[in-house]
Amino acid sequence: MKTKILVFLTLLFIIGCDSSPEETNINSSSDNTEDNSGSNSQNGDWTISKDQVIDGGTGIDGIPSLDNPNFLNASDPEVNNYMDANDLIIGLVYEGEIKAYPHRILDWHEIVNDEINNQKIVINYCPLTGTGFGWRGNFSNLNTNFGVSGLLYNTNLILYDRETQSYWSQLKLEAINGAKIRTKPELISVVETTWGNWKNMYPQTKILSNSQAINRNYAYYPYGPYKEEHDLLFFPVTPLNQTLPLKQRVHAIIENNRAYTYKFNNFSNGNILTDSFNSKNILIVGNNNTIVSFELNSNQTSLVFTYAYNNSEIFFSDNEGNKWSVTGIAIEGPRIGERLTRTSSLMSYWFAIASFYPNPTLR
Amino acid sequence: MVCILKVLKKTFILVIAIINSNFIIAQTCCSGGVPLSNNIGLPILEKGTIQLGLSYDYNNLNTLKEGTSTIDDTARLRITHSALLNFGYAITNRLSVETLFTWVNQRRQISQFGNVNLDQANGIGDAIILGSYQFLEKPNYSFSSSFGFKLPTGSTNEKNKQGIILNADLQPGSNALDLIFTSSYIQKISFRKSMSLNSKVTYRATGKNNNYLGSNTYKFGNEFQLLLTLSDHFSIKDQIISLASRVKYRYVVKDNLNGNLISNTGGNWVFIEPRISLYITPNIIFSTRLEVPLHSNVDGTQLTPTYRINSGIAIKFNQKGKNNLL
Repeated sequence: MKTKILVFLTLLFIIGCDSSPEETNINSSSDNTEDNSGSNSQNGDWTISKDQVIDGGTGIDGIPSLDNPNFLNASDPEVNNYMDANDLIIGLVYEGEIKAYPHRILDWHEIVNDEINNQKIVINYCPLTGTGFGWRGNFSNLNTNFGVSGLLYNTNLILYDRETQSYWSQLKLEAINGAKIRTKPELISVVETTWGNWKNMYPQTKILSNSQAINRNYAYYPYGPYKEEHDLLFFPVTPLNQTLPLKQRVHAIIENNRAYTYKFNNFSNGNILTDSFNSKNILIVGNNNTIVSFELNSNQTSLVFTYAYNNSEIFFSDNEGNKWSVTGIAIEGPRIGERLTRTSSLMSYWFAIASFYPNPTLR
Repeated sequence: MVCILKVLKKTFILVIAIINSNFIIAQTCCSGGVPLSNNIGLPILEKGTIQLGLSYDYNNLNTLKEGTSTIDDTARLRITHSALLNFGYAITNRLSVETLFTWVNQRRQISQFGNVNLDQANGIGDAIILGSYQFLEKPNYSFSSSFGFKLPTGSTNEKNKQGIILNADLQPGSNALDLIFTSSYIQKISFRKSMSLNSKVTYRATGKNNNYLGSNTYKFGNEFQLLLTLSDHFSIKDQIISLASRVKYRYVVKDNLNGNLISNTGGNWVFIEPRISLYITPNIIFSTRLEVPLHSNVDGTQLTPTYRINSGIAIKFNQKGKNNLL
């Protein structure tokens, strides 16, 4: 009797130990069948110090990107149930489509793999550094979606492309490991502003729906007091520049691996600045919520610009009578249809831009 | 004695074989913590008695919760496989010491977008040393308390195969010295001598890891547990079996990083835990228990326990008295 019971319990023990809730196949490209696995990128060279790459704890795709995202029209009453006028969004005007990607949704997904006119568009946003970009999905012989690697460099998002599994540093703007190492992403200009501003500028805009295939509670900010407590950093940052409060949002223009940064208090109630560096003439336009910048060509440097936002698409104007949108398109006046060249720029928490591009110029 | 050693050896081999089998098939897994608090508190026996326990613990976390609500997303799986070795010695009839050593395999698996990605680390985990004293021992009830430490013997710098250090919760150890206090009251049921009710509280005051990601300070949240266990013994064809049912309330404070409370950590849980124990001999007991959550209320959004299985063998040496189980 005792022997039988012992055999029974031993079998129970084995079944219990080995029971798996689901049969799964390890991604062959991941080579994850060894112990201490966990990378779905190649080993080999890194363009940054590997010691500064941190496992953020979520794992690859533990923060799920939004693929095939759902959108609503701005006029849909449902939008008012999850968006406030002061909520920040990343706005995109591209190939005739106008879209808004709210931070409150990006906080949970970090990457949106979207498509406009059969072109892959990758909106990526790092909630820990407050940095958002639009990247093309088809560039450098890639036609790929991106995912969240779960790794961080200087507490900033490391993406991976699902075609070659290469790792991409968001703020360094290059592949840092894998087959595409040292490749630069191709940027698509986006605007970071409030939902209220964007909706006034583009009432016809679409906005990411609060109902997605992978749903989260978008009313809840997942990082607690992180945005408000300047000194709260979850992961190491080197160098840590404390010239400004760490989480102060600045507009940063990245030019030849150097950052030129502009504070919001230069643009209270709307203002225009001009700057020049590397033989380029730069126009910076902003208000309390939005800062955008443009590189002026020789035909545009003689124009005298004026801030002109009046809750419409017009953001600024010039002495020729042209009216310009926030994306730098002349929408009225003799130059109608003309485009100002967008700088390689973004909004960022101060500490982030100052760690990736040390000693930034501060205006 | 030879028989006991043989059983112990076979059980040890079985535990290690089972854990290693999961390395090879690399299927599920992950963790959510090494079950230290759950596996301490050997009974205080008569002077000179040695107790040895070897068990295997499988902890599956595959339930994504926001507060009390379950989110329909099982893409993320955390499993901890643990081999646990207890050793206890009764210095007197009232005073005993106990140690717990662990070997841990931590796994994090994400099944998303048609891919499955696994991170894992394994190694010797943290250890516990505990002193216990029985303040009261009456025919129908007893009361004892224990105090001890969780020692940072486990590794905290395990890397993935690319050489990137894995996150703190995947590490076998915590690099922190914790204080542990437990208190237990056992009441025998008057109308049935073999039945008893055990109430136990456990408090773990966690220490700080001052070398977290360089010079940062990380502190896992303090933990409080209240356990109520009703157990009884039966004899079936000369085989003594013990059945028990335990309800566990667990409260964990939020983790703390450099003095800041961390969101999405901490919470309240209630578990039910049925257990069956087989007395192979009066001094060799084989037990299996299953733990499932009845209720949980987590801070923010967290992956929380789905179920836990623990099986093992406990052996007593040099016990002179009789086992009056029935």
